[in-house]
Amino acid sequence: MKSRIILAGIARLLALMLTASLAGALLLRYAPGFSSDERELNTGLSAGSIQAIRQERLAQGNVPSFYLHYLASLCRGDLGNSISLNQPVRSLLHDRLPVTLQNLFLALLLAWIVGLALAFTSQLTRSRLAVAAGEGVSGVLISTPAAALALLFVLFRFPLWTAAGLLILPKIYRYSSNLLGEGYEKPHVLMARAKGAGTWGILFRHVVPAALPQWVSLLGVSVSIAIGVMLPLEAIGDVPGIGQLAWQAALSRDLPLLVNLTMAVTFLSVAATTLSDSAKHSLLRNAA
Amino acid sequence: MKTLRIIAIVTLMAAAVAALGARYIAPGGYEHQFREATDAAPSAHHPLGTDELGRDRLARLLYGLRVSLGMAPLAALLTTVLAGLLGGIAGCFGGWVERSSMFLADLFLSIPWLFLLITVRAALPLNIAPESSAAITFLLLGLLGWAASARVVCAGAKNLMSSDFVWNARAAGFSGLKLVRLHLLPNLRGTLLAQFWISIPVFIIAEANLGALGLGVTEPLPSLGSLLKEMQEMVTLRPEPWRVAPIFVLIILVSSFQVLLNKQEVRA
Repeated sequence: MKSRIILAGIARLLALMLTASLAGALLLRYAPGFSSDERELNTGLSAGSIQAIRQERLAQGNVPSFYLHYLASLCRGDLGNSISLNQPVRSLLHDRLPVTLQNLFLALLLAWIVGLALAFTSQLTRSRLAVAAGEGVSGVLISTPAAALALLFVLFRFPLWTAAGLLILPKIYRYSSNLLGEGYEKPHVLMARAKGAGTWGILFRHVVPAALPQWVSLLGVSVSIAIGVMLPLEAIGDVPGIGQLAWQAALSRDLPLLVNLTMAVTFLSVAATTLSDSAKHSLLRNAA
Repeated sequence: MKTLRIIAIVTLMAAAVAALGARYIAPGGYEHQFREATDAAPSAHHPLGTDELGRDRLARLLYGLRVSLGMAPLAALLTTVLAGLLGGIAGCFGGWVERSSMFLADLFLSIPWLFLLITVRAALPLNIAPESSAAITFLLLGLLGWAASARVVCAGAKNLMSSDFVWNARAAGFSGLKLVRLHLLPNLRGTLLAQFWISIPVFIIAEANLGALGLGVTEPLPSLGSLLKEMQEMVTLRPEPWRVAPIFVLIILVSSFQVLLNKQEVRA
């Protein structure tokens, strides 16, 4: 049963990744202006070099052959070359991915700590002030575009991962607050309270264990949200991560780079949700 | 909460009136250059000052508000129609139709939303007429934002298809369009309305992000996103507090939608 869930998750991950990258390749191939290359305007290039650039562009124009060639190269560990940056995509990803992953980790850590702290405070104290503070903070943050927060954080010279953390926080707070609220209203919890069980006992013996599988699932979703949020933050904050790279690739219609970034981002996002879903099922099975 | 909702409604109405009456509030228009007062500080003539080209910042903010407030509901309508069609068909037919529709929705949802938007927007021409860029930006939002809503609609349609009254209707000979028109659509109306309301603030935020990255509405037409892009040089040059007005307007506007949204969701 467990291996079936994992295999289904891996199959889904592969199918989504292949479809996503193919869609990216099709999109870029049929985008207006694909056949032209800015490098051809460079007066320093010889006729032979310009011809070579045209041939390279022409070879990439045939999407099925480009894509099949790409998949074959991928199996060999070759991710191709970036047209706009004139560097191997693998080395670009190697340089940029750790920056994004580090910021992603710090942002998630901040979001989960503050989000859970707010949710626990509002549910444990049940004070109107705590609930209003939690709702107010999450309401304002959920209404703030990532780009706007990035501008403010650059202006005040705050680290950008804190902005990413604040943008993920509302989802964590709201979901956790609802989970805890539902947990406290379950019949056996009400019974335990009626029998005089202590606040912490109820929380850690009944409410938290019931909410744990959902939190594990939310962890995967929060990784996916964080990846999306990092893109405008890195682009505006001039952070050399894969978000900034994706933005540069999209602006310069750099097909090999964009396809690989699509794959990387989709892989991270789907792998995180697949892993967390598997962990959630495992927890639910153990609880049963 | 009731007071908060009243404040949100008043705020949205004030924003709509200000956007519609931009011509009267700031008669100069969004592209008129006051060449004698470039990069001016706030004054009686220009309450938010002027930009480097001498254009009135208040006028640009009001016209930007008009673009975002006017186009986001249209994009939300498009996305709701798409979600209704795809989710509704998937929920009604089930089987491979549902599986393939939901796989498509999964695909859209697995690629982070902004990444998807940036990629698709960049694949289209960037140097185009401002009006076309506004239309393309919001059209893209409408075309790409359906996936999450389609999942909700699909679940709703599936529930309805297995409900007693639909079984009775089918047994009584109702099928096809008649079943959809008389039983499914009226019962899905609440869900669709909720998805429409949810999409509006999402699209306003998405346009702001795209605009700030230079992939949204192009100059000289302002939008809330393109106003954020104009602010980027402030970060490296000099801090002038009145220039951050678009950020606060944006947050207040979207917050107002969020406050009203809870009510709409409850109704749905």
